[in-house]
Amino acid sequence: MSSFNPLYHSFWYLLRGAGMTLLMAGVAVVPATVFGLVLALAQVFGRRLMRAAVVGYLFLVRGIPLLVLLTFAYYLLPLTGIDLPPFWAVVLVIALYYAAFMSEVFRAGILSLPAAQWDAARSLGMTRSLMLQVVVLPQALRLAAPPFVSLCISLVKATSLVSIVGLWELTMASREVVERTLAPFQIFIGAAAIYFCICYALALYGRHLERRAILGH
Amino acid sequence: MEDTLSDAQSLAIEAPETRLRPMLEIAGVTKRFGEHTVLRKVSLSVQPGEVVVVIGPSGSGKTTLLRCINLLEEYERGIVTVDGEPIGYRLDAGGQRIRMLERDIVAARAKIGIVFQSYNLFPHMSVLHNITAAPIRVKGIARAQAEARARELLAMIGLSDKEAEYPVRLSGGQQQRVAIARALAMDPKIMLFDEVTSALDPELVGEVLAAMQQLARAGMTMVVVTHEMSFARDIADRIVFMDGGVIAEEGKPEQILFSPRTERVRAFLKRYNERYRI
Repeated sequence: MSSFNPLYHSFWYLLRGAGMTLLMAGVAVVPATVFGLVLALAQVFGRRLMRAAVVGYLFLVRGIPLLVLLTFAYYLLPLTGIDLPPFWAVVLVIALYYAAFMSEVFRAGILSLPAAQWDAARSLGMTRSLMLQVVVLPQALRLAAPPFVSLCISLVKATSLVSIVGLWELTMASREVVERTLAPFQIFIGAAAIYFCICYALALYGRHLERRAILGH
Repeated sequence: MEDTLSDAQSLAIEAPETRLRPMLEIAGVTKRFGEHTVLRKVSLSVQPGEVVVVIGPSGSGKTTLLRCINLLEEYERGIVTVDGEPIGYRLDAGGQRIRMLERDIVAARAKIGIVFQSYNLFPHMSVLHNITAAPIRVKGIARAQAEARARELLAMIGLSDKEAEYPVRLSGGQQQRVAIARALAMDPKIMLFDEVTSALDPELVGEVLAAMQQLARAGMTMVVVTHEMSFARDIADRIVFMDGGVIAEEGKPEQILFSPRTERVRAFLKRYNERYRI
């Protein structure tokens, strides 16, 4: 077991890195969700110009690797005069990037609701915003919950890319330790195990939501 | 009070021309789906407390007519009023049709109850919540009051023990009765029924029809689209036969069902009888 000593000695350091990973993911997922929902509603209910703008945004974002966007933001944002601290810059990019995918998940949830539900809500005298609040979104979001959790898992793992632009989190911490200890195998097994634990917990939660969605309440 | 009411009713029955204003007035409604004209200048007026049953072959426009009444379906010409108030379009001084404001349409729609073939309960809400959601959120009725009213309605349809259940746990007949209660909770001026027993197992049809019968006896104005001919005979004050997007014949149930004037009704009833007589 002694060959795992480097991991043993640096485990707390890696866990602190994991804390940063979770913080970054947790902060990014909020605007990603909100913006994703706004994009979905704009695409389903917006006028033609609005829909076209949203679709354009989705195609653009989905056609560019996150790593490229991160690098782009990191080097080019300061040149445009937008001076965000690096943490907020990458959180913003991750949020904008994942919002595009989340909007598709939410849109699918809204569209998969049978037209009959809209009819029923409308016939009871509900305005469009009431229909959304009371009938459509509660069901659509439930339907969207399992794929939403998958996206959250993907987002957690995507934060590892920010080490490229010099931000410190679990992957960056692991690389530092590797440079000190020259034990890449052991350290990255540790890092992988930590990522796995986070994502597995999320996946279990996703399964739980899925079962609830199938039961209907 | 009771006496004057029944006097007015008997008067209405004896002298149709002196009736009060109709509860529902459909005037010259024309509806197209693309090239296909589904309704051709359909006019129908329904008196307060009257039960009108609409029959006819599938594709004749019965369901579309019902959905046009509360503007779930747009129509190209004509207007609809309920208790004298326009629902989606009104006429200006020059007789030109003008679409009402969206919020006025929404408010007008709340006065019309509709029950659908596929129940359309909200699956994420309990039975009680299904019934109280619109009164609370649309009409602003206090929760306690809305729930008390919902429990009255549940008692009326015999489902008091199901208020906490979710729709998936109910039979089709139970769901449809809850759907009726949900519509009634808005205190509509008129109730529309769109083939409400067509999706039910035969043994569950009776309980839903019984609830409708009860409602008719209580004096509710109703327009009922159905394929249940014996039910139509029992409940209808008047039967309207639709075919090809027009009202081809209308009259008292006995007249339509037993001595129809037009060949179209005779042919329809013959097909119907061949299908359902074992």
